[in-house]
Amino acid sequence: MLDETLALTNRALKKWVRNPFTIIPGLATSAFYLALFGNSFNPTNLVPASAGAAAKSAILSTTFGGALTYITYLTAGVICLIIVFNMSFGGIDIVLDRQLGYFNTLLTSPIPRAAIYFSGVFQNLAKAMLLAVLTFVIALIIPDGLKLTASFGILELLGAFAAFTLLGLGLSCVFTSLALLARSIDSLIAVVNFINLPLIFMSSSLFPSSSFPGWLLAISNVNPISKADEAARILIVNGNPASNGMMGTFVGDMLYLVGFVVVMAVLGYWAAARAMRPE
Amino acid sequence: MSKTNIIEAENLTKVYKGKVKAVDSISFSVEEGEIFGFLGPNGAGKTTTIKMLNTIASITSGKATVAGQDVTKHPAKVRDVIGVVPQELTADDELNGMENILLSARLHHVRGDDARKRASDLLKLVDLDGAAGRRVKTYSGGMRRRLQLAIGLIHTPKILFLDEPTLGLDIQTRTKMWEYMSKLNKEQGLTIFMTTHYLEEADGLCNRVAIIDHGVIKVSGSPSQLKERVGGDVLTIELTTGPDITDFLRSIPDVHDVVRTDQSYRIKLPKTEKALPAIVEGVTKKGLEIKEIAFTKPTLDEVFLEVTGKSMRDEDAGESESYIQNIITERMQ
Ligand SMILES: Nc1ncnc2c1ncn2[C@@H]1O[C@H](COP(=O)(O)OP(=O)(O)O)[C@@H](O)[C@H]1O
Ligand SMILES: [Mg+2]
Repeated sequence: MLDETLALTNRALKKWVRNPFTIIPGLATSAFYLALFGNSFNPTNLVPASAGAAAKSAILSTTFGGALTYITYLTAGVICLIIVFNMSFGGIDIVLDRQLGYFNTLLTSPIPRAAIYFSGVFQNLAKAMLLAVLTFVIALIIPDGLKLTASFGILELLGAFAAFTLLGLGLSCVFTSLALLARSIDSLIAVVNFINLPLIFMSSSLFPSSSFPGWLLAISNVNPISKADEAARILIVNGNPASNGMMGTFVGDMLYLVGFVVVMAVLGYWAAARAMRPE
Repeated sequence: MSKTNIIEAENLTKVYKGKVKAVDSISFSVEEGEIFGFLGPNGAGKTTTIKMLNTIASITSGKATVAGQDVTKHPAKVRDVIGVVPQELTADDELNGMENILLSARLHHVRGDDARKRASDLLKLVDLDGAAGRRVKTYSGGMRRRLQLAIGLIHTPKILFLDEPTLGLDIQTRTKMWEYMSKLNKEQGLTIFMTTHYLEEADGLCNRVAIIDHGVIKVSGSPSQLKERVGGDVLTIELTTGPDITDFLRSIPDVHDVVRTDQSYRIKLPKTEKALPAIVEGVTKKGLEIKEIAFTKPTLDEVFLEVTGKSMRDEDAGESESYIQNIITERMQ
């Protein structure tokens, strides 16, 4: 089971690595989102220049958790967004595999159906996580970009990416199942668009949920994107959570994400197994 | 030594989504070591039958066993022993020939030196050893088909399923594929179940053929048995104009049967040489003009015509690609 999963994941990634240019649109999107949202939504722009630099940093510290720049606040959200979008695009490869008959070749092979499903899950995850890492790097190098605090170390980095990875894994389970159930690229895109945008905008990824109306806040609070976003943001903006009393929130978010992954893996495999039954 | 049946199908039926009856209660068996062919036009139900035998299409009713295993009850055991060469070309463009075949090896639990040895032997068999390191996207259609054959054989299956293995290939490559297939069958005793809509392929390659149309097996047997069924030669005469002369033709001794379509008469007779003078004389005496005259020894197309009432070649003409292919092939001869 593990060996087949690895073999199939390896095949998908090999195809991808041999076409390295396919990563460029993804990278461009990351840079674009950071620059676009980072400037157009930047709350410090709302503060008139006459009010001075102190007023600008005041708005960041009251509403944006004390981030040193708006992009510092935004990075975790943009990475979540990149993960969500890449999951959906990853599904297209799976539909293509089915339409081109490759999928039938897998189904007539003596490999566990779970290996077919989870190789889909991992190949999507791997692609999205690479872009997540690159987005983080872009945020660090752009002007007025991500500014980390002194207490942000290797553990904080790993913790933030653990949150992103859990989100990615859970979402990958969902989108891989959807791709297996979809019979055409069009129908997949329709369903994915229906899910994607509300999922993103009903989360705290682009704007603090503290300003949301009650109903939206309620949704945002159970949205796994908000949880990953919050967990990663705690580390990215404020550094070590033990030193600022946010450890409880961080651990709670991470446990929530683990639960999300488990539930989605079970449901996703259940749906995928149905999609892989003889037609 | 009596042969055992390696595939058995009993009243096998497939209805897609409660509507299209793609396969309608077919029964057949394939003996170990033979090449068995399904011959039929597009949409006849060939691929659907293969998919049911390969465990990827559900069986609506009836039953099938492959290598002694019920395909519905023990699909995993069936998958262990079958090799599948699908109608679509499914090798990965971005991987090279060797990588594609080694991936298949790994998915079939063939490992290490064993896998590498077998992969290079198979690539040699299909004359792709020189191109093994090239990415498949640089391969021609014929090379892809050959690679697909090698991929299907990597785990030394007991039965090889080939769905339209020479579809769209030029005549040279097609001949090559036939050579590989009969070599595998003769030298290694590999059982082959194949589908085709090429008459020559069924005739030249298969030990036994089942003619399938609209999901129903019309007739089955060895190509020569099937042709004997049609009985003797077929003389076709086409007249420019004139009355229906079917009854007159039937009255000539030695003529077995006459089928008329417009001004064209298909006359079945055991030996053309004997009856031809009487036919030509009779037609001329009636003052009719012969536009064209031809006679054929029976082919599977005659058999197909006999059992379905239409010609396979006419059926194919609807498909632009193979229609053009036919023209090109004819012009090359
Ligand atoms: N997945 C499917 N859903 C519905 N109908 C199908 C499906 N696959 C094939 N058919 C129909 O079943 C019939 C037999 O198709 P097929 O087995 O592919 O024929 P062949 O391989 O002989 O060309 C055709 O009428 C075809 O349209
Ligand atoms: Mg077919």
